[in-house]
Amino acid sequence: MVQIIITWFCRFSLVLLTVFSAQAQPADTLKHYDLDPVVVTATRTAKVLRDVPTPTAIVTAAAAHEQGAMRLADLLAEQPGLALVHDHGTGLQLQGFDPAYTLILIDGEPVVGREAGTLDLARLTVAGIERIEVVRGPSSSLYGSEALAGVVNIITRRPAQALAARVQTRYETHETVDLTAEAEVVQGRFGGTFVANRYQSAGYDLFPARAGVTTPRFTDHTWQTRLAFDLHETTDLGLTARWAHQEQQGTTSLLQAGQEFLFENDGTRTDWSLTPRLVHRLRPGVKLTALGTVSRYQTDLRTQVGTDAPERVRFDQHYAKAEAQLDAVLGLRHRLLLGGGVISEQVEADRIRDAQQRSYSGFGFIQHEWLAAGWLDVTLSARLDAHNEYGTRFSPKAALLLKPNDALRFRASVGTGFKAPTFQQRYLDFINPVAGYAVFGSVDVQARLQRLDDSGQILSYLLDPSTLTTVQPETSVAVNLGGEADVTPWLGVQANVFRNNVRDLIEAAPVARLTNGQNAFTYFNLRRIYTQGVEAEVTLRPSAPLTLALGYQYLDAKDQEVVEALEAGTLFKRVEGRDVRVRPGEYGGLMNRSRHSGTLRLRYRHAALGTVATVRGVYRSRYGYADLNGNLILDADAEYVPGYWLWHATLTHPVGDRLTLQAGVINAFDETNPTQVPSLSGRRWFAGLRLAVGS
Amino acid sequence: MKTLRFLPLLALTLLLAACDTTDANDDPTGTIQVEMATDIPADPIVGLENGRPVGAGIITYYNLRTNTMVAASDSNTTNWDLALQGTTLRINGGTSGPGQGAAQVVTGAFEELMAAPADGYATDSETGYAISTGSGTGWYNYNPQANLVTPIPGRVLVIRAADGTYAKVRIVSYYKGNPATPDASSESRYYTFEYVHQPDGSRRFE
Repeated sequence: MVQIIITWFCRFSLVLLTVFSAQAQPADTLKHYDLDPVVVTATRTAKVLRDVPTPTAIVTAAAAHEQGAMRLADLLAEQPGLALVHDHGTGLQLQGFDPAYTLILIDGEPVVGREAGTLDLARLTVAGIERIEVVRGPSSSLYGSEALAGVVNIITRRPAQALAARVQTRYETHETVDLTAEAEVVQGRFGGTFVANRYQSAGYDLFPARAGVTTPRFTDHTWQTRLAFDLHETTDLGLTARWAHQEQQGTTSLLQAGQEFLFENDGTRTDWSLTPRLVHRLRPGVKLTALGTVSRYQTDLRTQVGTDAPERVRFDQHYAKAEAQLDAVLGLRHRLLLGGGVISEQVEADRIRDAQQRSYSGFGFIQHEWLAAGWLDVTLSARLDAHNEYGTRFSPKAALLLKPNDALRFRASVGTGFKAPTFQQRYLDFINPVAGYAVFGSVDVQARLQRLDDSGQILSYLLDPSTLTTVQPETSVAVNLGGEADVTPWLGVQANVFRNNVRDLIEAAPVARLTNGQNAFTYFNLRRIYTQGVEAEVTLRPSAPLTLALGYQYLDAKDQEVVEALEAGTLFKRVEGRDVRVRPGEYGGLMNRSRHSGTLRLRYRHAALGTVATVRGVYRSRYGYADLNGNLILDADAEYVPGYWLWHATLTHPVGDRLTLQAGVINAFDETNPTQVPSLSGRRWFAGLRLAVGS
Repeated sequence: MKTLRFLPLLALTLLLAACDTTDANDDPTGTIQVEMATDIPADPIVGLENGRPVGAGIITYYNLRTNTMVAASDSNTTNWDLALQGTTLRINGGTSGPGQGAAQVVTGAFEELMAAPADGYATDSETGYAISTGSGTGWYNYNPQANLVTPIPGRVLVIRAADGTYAKVRIVSYYKGNPATPDASSESRYYTFEYVHQPDGSRRFE
């Protein structure tokens, strides 16, 4: 199978080369940097980045190439204020939120397929992107569920060149190979981009003495296309399609009671999406967009423990949405955005009630941008989400942009965010066959408990089952205050202060005792947390070829109940065998959050040779790993992962107009921590080349 | 500096005040000893089922009055006070045994608990154990990331023994050899606990 794909891939590349090499035209050298880039995520309308009222950052394709990033995870790992965390995949921690609370979009449409809340960013290739937009702060007023911490929108390249193609190969330590072929065509009213990517790795093993590996071998394929057709002077049709597939195979191991247990894993993951879109300009300044999107995410994992019978776990998620949006510029000072749509979601999984569940929701949103004065821009937005199970959710947001002069911009916003309960939290129907405990989704927990009661399996209720209600969405209210200053042409400074109050976090808690000595659990809206901090960035251009960017984030994220228990003096810890009260100052906050984190990026470009060298450093101060003294909170030095720096360097050198050579090192100082941070695989070298042909 | 000069005086006053209490004189046997029970097996793991550890279903019966393990054949007598099986603790009373046993979990430091509460005791019953089972609700927390059972610091099990006398118990470890930091290689289901038993029938622990 793999052989066939490689062969096919080579043929595709060869054909492209043969076709396009005839045309001797200057290649896209990527030397141009747009000083005033346009973004679309913060307001769902195209807007110059510096005029956006909410904190927004962009990462361009050029920056991605100069870094040598292959996957979205590699790219975001080096951005200021973003941290990657590893739990069921590589997820994004934004403003101190877990990965489940950041919405990930491709061309404005949600990527589906989260595992334990994490949308694995290593799943997504960087090939074919135009830029990434990162909006900080809650954005549920425009995007609905999941946009509490912010929104990451991956914008793919739109067809712009008459005929062009690009082939890129790269080899990295751990037999990691990335192959990309891209083609682009614009002929008359038709345009299209086509991207094929193959990414494979042999995985790695941090514990050679153990039989299992740390990360198993995998092969990943992605196809992406974006088609555009000018139907009429005022009407454009578009189609975005994406298909990705991963195969994974290997033996992982688990240590228990001093014994190593081997897990033979054999899994596949497939996800695809299709988004047709129609844009119609009713009159100058008034634009109607209608779109439909369907996507699907499927996993099939076969696991065998020792000589036990293999266990197969399948998961299948469908997402479909129809949506319309009207964007109208009203006079010189007002711009109105109106939109609405319907969403259908379906999950098929072994542990879900009746193995299949479906839900529907409808939504409408409105946004008013008001240019009150030349120096003041007010943006008000709100969205109403109505769901067939947990009712309606209203999410308002207000944002201000102040521009006292050309070099200074202040931004202030107050917004709300929500995250709908997952299918698992609503419909799980699971009794552990070995341990005997039961977990039920909250929608029909009463019926499930009654079923157990009827068969005499319930010993007692911990609370009256008739008082149980369906879990409600988790909600947040947040404030972001910040701004940026172009101090001198060679010095730019920006900063943002944030505070998020999050409530009704959903957790499983026992509801009944079973006759087998175990408990039955269901989901409740329980915890309250807060996250607050400062994000800052300084960009220096001391001379034309040299750029230095420094990023810093201070973060404080805590559980409100823990803070209250500490004040009440009811939380203890064990020190040298004795139980002593934990002082409030000893609480390190939520696990996996670094108080201090930073990025450093140095870029040098040799004007005559065109060579670009980048050196990047990413720092995380110590962060909570696991509770070791029994009180479940982070309050002892041994419970932290020590802080560390990662240093990366990449050299990119053009040979003629078409060929670019690249080499570099990731994690140059071989930082590892096998037991606490198995995702740190050590130093990796890479080398690659890119060949571009066409107009 | 003035404060420093007066500190020894203050300490002396406090010491004298402490000596002045009649508690110590009331107890003819002198102060009660803190007893230690080490590596008490509680149905250790004998095998695996679907990758999960299982025990042989053995309950260990323990007499707090004599600090000894009791044979399972004595399970229907008042010779035991506390029974251990995995993370489940049984008390000799109610549905678990013929004794007067009852228990409650008190939040606080072991040393600071000077007397057993007057009320608030529960007995093992058909609706549950006196000491709640489950992570975070009784004496332990379970950490799924590290796969470890750790005693909740600041929890004292106040147990009424089978004969109606009182004891306070603090679970020290759930792992064989009471390792300072248990890990994946530690052998679970071996209790180490310290306790104070008041034989005179009063609720005082000093």
